[in-house]
Amino acid sequence: MHDDHGGHGHPNYFLVFAALCGFTGLSILADVVTLPSYGVKVVVVLAVATSKALCVMSWFMHLKYERAWKYVLLAPTTILALGLPLALMPDIGEHYYTPDVPQVDDYAEAVAHVAEHGGGHAETHAVHPETTTPDSGATTETK
Amino acid sequence: MSHSPSHGSAVPPIKMGLAIPNSKLCLWLFLGTEIMFFTAFIGTYIVLRMGSKGWPTSPDVTHIKVFWGGLNTFVLILSSYFVVVCHEAMNQHNFAKARKFLQMTFALAIVFLGIKSYEYYGKIDHDILPGRIAENDFQAKKKVLSESEKAVSNRLTGLVKQLGGLKVEYAKPEPANDQAKLRAVIQDAVGKLKAASNPALADYEGFVEMDKAFGEMKQMVLAEQATASEVGKKLTELQANAQWGWVFKSVHEPHPILYGNIFASCYFLMTGFHAIHVIVGMILFVIVLKQGSKLDGKWTDFVENSGLYWHFVDLVWIFLFPLLYIL
Repeated sequence: MHDDHGGHGHPNYFLVFAALCGFTGLSILADVVTLPSYGVKVVVVLAVATSKALCVMSWFMHLKYERAWKYVLLAPTTILALGLPLALMPDIGEHYYTPDVPQVDDYAEAVAHVAEHGGGHAETHAVHPETTTPDSGATTETK
Repeated sequence: MSHSPSHGSAVPPIKMGLAIPNSKLCLWLFLGTEIMFFTAFIGTYIVLRMGSKGWPTSPDVTHIKVFWGGLNTFVLILSSYFVVVCHEAMNQHNFAKARKFLQMTFALAIVFLGIKSYEYYGKIDHDILPGRIAENDFQAKKKVLSESEKAVSNRLTGLVKQLGGLKVEYAKPEPANDQAKLRAVIQDAVGKLKAASNPALADYEGFVEMDKAFGEMKQMVLAEQATASEVGKKLTELQANAQWGWVFKSVHEPHPILYGNIFASCYFLMTGFHAIHVIVGMILFVIVLKQGSKLDGKWTDFVENSGLYWHFVDLVWIFLFPLLYIL
């Protein structure tokens, strides 16, 4: 199709589109096959998403060909965008205390039920501990 | 762009500003705010999810199907490709081709919203809505009870209203929604209809029978000895009745979802705002498409900026898809 012509041409958009489709297929594959752990799945799927985002930004949005203003414009917003999740993380994402909500007890109860009766028969329970993240642990941490 | 005269000197004129149109700079500044807007939602979702052990992930529970998410991802990627080809055609002054690709982009946006609506319909049908989800057995039983009570009450009011048409006299209860008094009216009407051999008698007798069965289920819940699954079985039993089971059709099976409400809030907030952005993009495309054959080079910047916005909408979905559908 098209090639770069001395820096003023445009990339092969169809190739970028094909790559994006391939990446989408890869994320679906990561959902279908059994990966060694949930952590691996998270890394694979988010790496694929980031690659897709970079493809769209670099070629479809032409950022690859834009001048240095792109850094001046996008760096502050990116830093500010990351600020909120990072600020919330210690309090809400990584509790340094046991939150006093009924869901915590309900989850512990369901985990105990599954441990007692074996997995797969917890359909009357709200949670399916076998589908949750392995690193989330079976018990609520107390300090 | 400055056009200062050079006065014949060899010094080139001083160039101020960026070598891009003002509109494009503004759009990029806007996209900068959009990045912060969506990161706030996505980041909050990730943080909440990490802090909530037992977050619902099974597709059977959340009714989030990877097929539809994957298909919508493909639709958006294809539309992004079309919009970039459209811009390329604008640069080449091939406006007929540009219009064709923009029409296809617009059509794909409709497909995206169609699939999204279908997914929303599934959530609404299963009552997976913020603030309406039972998170444990107790809440699930209470929900069955309150929904059944509402269904029975509607049927009761309907039957009493119908009495006027059947020419059965009755004293209007005060207050009008007093359930016990309304039930007394029905009891009284059964006797009168029987005496008049009215064919509508079956409906009223059916109500009395249904009310008795409902009372048993209510007792089950209030006694707090039955599990949600047992209450669910009883509900299925009521729904199976050939004569009056339909009254309970609107009652949802008891399926508690731990953290279901916060999950639904996150889901609808993120996908809802994304859908609003899709609609805004469609409006931008319509503005261009409305030019019809009058589309010319003046619109190139507008198409480029709409395209950049559209790619951003695609970018957001690229992250929503794995976070909501896969992980």
